[in-house]
Amino acid sequence: MELRAGDSWGIFTFLCAALCNLPALPALNCSEELGAGQSIQQTYDLTRYLEHQLRTLAGTYLNYLGPPFNEPDFNPPRLARAERVPSATVDLDLWRGLTDNARLAANYRAYSRLLCYLRVLDGQVGTAELRHRLAHFCASLQGLVLSIGGVMSSLGYPLPAGPAGPPAPSGAPPAPNDFLKKMDDFWLLKELQTWLWRSAKDFNRLKKKVPPAVVTLRLEARGF
Amino acid sequence: IEMLFPPPPPPPLNLLLWLPVMGCDGCPGEGEGTAGPDVPNLSSEGWTSGQKNPPDVYEKLGTPQGLWTGGEMANPVRSACCVVLAAVVVVYAQRHSQPDSHIQYERVGADVTMKCGSMDWDAAVTWTANGTRDMDESHLNGSYLILKNVDLSQSGQYSCYEGSSWHLKYQTYLRVGTPPKEPVLMCRSNNYPKGFYCSWHLPTPTYIPNYFNISVIHGTKDMVCEKDATPKNRCHIRYLQLFSTVKYKVTLTVTNALGKNFTTLTFDEFAIVKPDPPESVVAKPVPNNPRRLEVSWQNPSSWPDPESFPLKFFLRYRPLILDQWQHVELSDGTSHTITDAYAGKEYIIQVAAKDNDIGTWSDWSVAVHATPWTEEPKHLTTEAQITETTSASTSSFMAPPTTKICDKGAMVGSGAMAVCWTAGLVVAAYSILFI
Repeated sequence: MELRAGDSWGIFTFLCAALCNLPALPALNCSEELGAGQSIQQTYDLTRYLEHQLRTLAGTYLNYLGPPFNEPDFNPPRLARAERVPSATVDLDLWRGLTDNARLAANYRAYSRLLCYLRVLDGQVGTAELRHRLAHFCASLQGLVLSIGGVMSSLGYPLPAGPAGPPAPSGAPPAPNDFLKKMDDFWLLKELQTWLWRSAKDFNRLKKKVPPAVVTLRLEARGF
Repeated sequence: IEMLFPPPPPPPLNLLLWLPVMGCDGCPGEGEGTAGPDVPNLSSEGWTSGQKNPPDVYEKLGTPQGLWTGGEMANPVRSACCVVLAAVVVVYAQRHSQPDSHIQYERVGADVTMKCGSMDWDAAVTWTANGTRDMDESHLNGSYLILKNVDLSQSGQYSCYEGSSWHLKYQTYLRVGTPPKEPVLMCRSNNYPKGFYCSWHLPTPTYIPNYFNISVIHGTKDMVCEKDATPKNRCHIRYLQLFSTVKYKVTLTVTNALGKNFTTLTFDEFAIVKPDPPESVVAKPVPNNPRRLEVSWQNPSSWPDPESFPLKFFLRYRPLILDQWQHVELSDGTSHTITDAYAGKEYIIQVAAKDNDIGTWSDWSVAVHATPWTEEPKHLTTEAQITETTSASTSSFMAPPTTKICDKGAMVGSGAMAVCWTAGLVVAAYSILFI
């Protein structure tokens, strides 16, 4: 039997081939959105894990800094120099109106910078236990940054330009005395904590944006 | 030791201040904004719970110069009329007024000495308490009335009459009370991310009027806590910014005639999030399932944005006859099917809510009662056999319902697969037929 273009057998063979591949098609077509849906959930879970980890880390670190930083009622005024750490605080309506791209980019930029500052901290800290904890946390935070980057890529957004190098030389001058240095550390941890709370809400919002039909297709594709 | 609280301005003086404003609608100088006499601290400090009546009135008075600006001839005449009227009223009031009427606040357990106005110590006077003749002579020291170790029952009106003429010389209203204890303050956000409210009360009553003043500071900013109409001891604040690193500091001051006290709360935006309990909790038996109960509920209506700020739920249930609760935590959805209920036992069920990520659990919802489905009792006749067979056949066709989430996915998956294959087969069939 010869196979010629336009031959009925050719059409039949093509149809067979198409049928065999049909179940795999949804996976191919929606892989990007599927990837995003899964990644968003993973990123959300990662922020919750980090927030939990930070609680232990912050407790240990603030005890290391000593009073008054480890007192529960410690409520210092925000000094101007602390502004270099990116703030999660945002106007309510502005936050609601953020596009997905802006929302993800804000998170990406914030954690990239926070990671830099944390790494600087890691180099200066005294006890071995604290260094170990910080290193572990930095690794997890790195994972979060990559995860957010992954979500952005899968949704087709460009990654924001990362920080050029260590922040200290290009940004604010180093703290003039020991107390102010500790204040910087205190605010760094506070901002990190607030960002993790905010990210949980950011990713909740993003989760809703991924259409539910995609989620069920994901279950179907997995079966193959 | 007498502890007199400064009495409010006596009535005639008040009339003088109010009349020019009430009687002279067209008076020049009104509303020109000239500065009035300084308002004493007492009246601006929240004495009237945030309402602004007295200071506004004082402002409108203006200086005498202010009253006379505006060049029409008729206005000075009108103002003169007002002044004359005021003077007449004052004179009348003073001639026919009661003697100084006071309110006197004293602590429980204090010793109170009441003087009969301007009468001498050795004048002959009679004291009455609440209209009844004060019988006990031992309370008198000359013309002074001495009350030792006062208690709450001794609150009332005390009047002093000149001995022979029964002319009323002095009258005072004694109110026995206590200075305020530290107030109890609670702040909570049940409508995150809109804002939060604070509510307060005194742990023990003082039996005299109390005034509350609340201040909220966020970093360097002073925020205004708007008082609620109901309930009274409550105020609310709207968040201007979300995800703040700076704490909120709320200070409540309570003042009364005998003393002052205060309390402070400092908290993070996230720490006070506590939703209201879920609403419309309904529990129903599931037909033909003696061990199941279907529970459903709704998000609390005060939670403004469940889409962006989803709630998770905690369900607890037990049969009435047992004390031990069983618990289920649900991360989404507003319904759940209990599958391990004891057959025929009445259950009590409650649900609580919490923001998915922050804050604390709500209080438990209103309890609902439900009993799982039970079969109708059978009659001991031949009819029993017929009913048995019919019920058996119907139940065999019913697939037991399982948890909804798992089912949905499997159903969609298998259905879609079936659609794919049948579509493929149909296309193949047509292609073969039309070759």
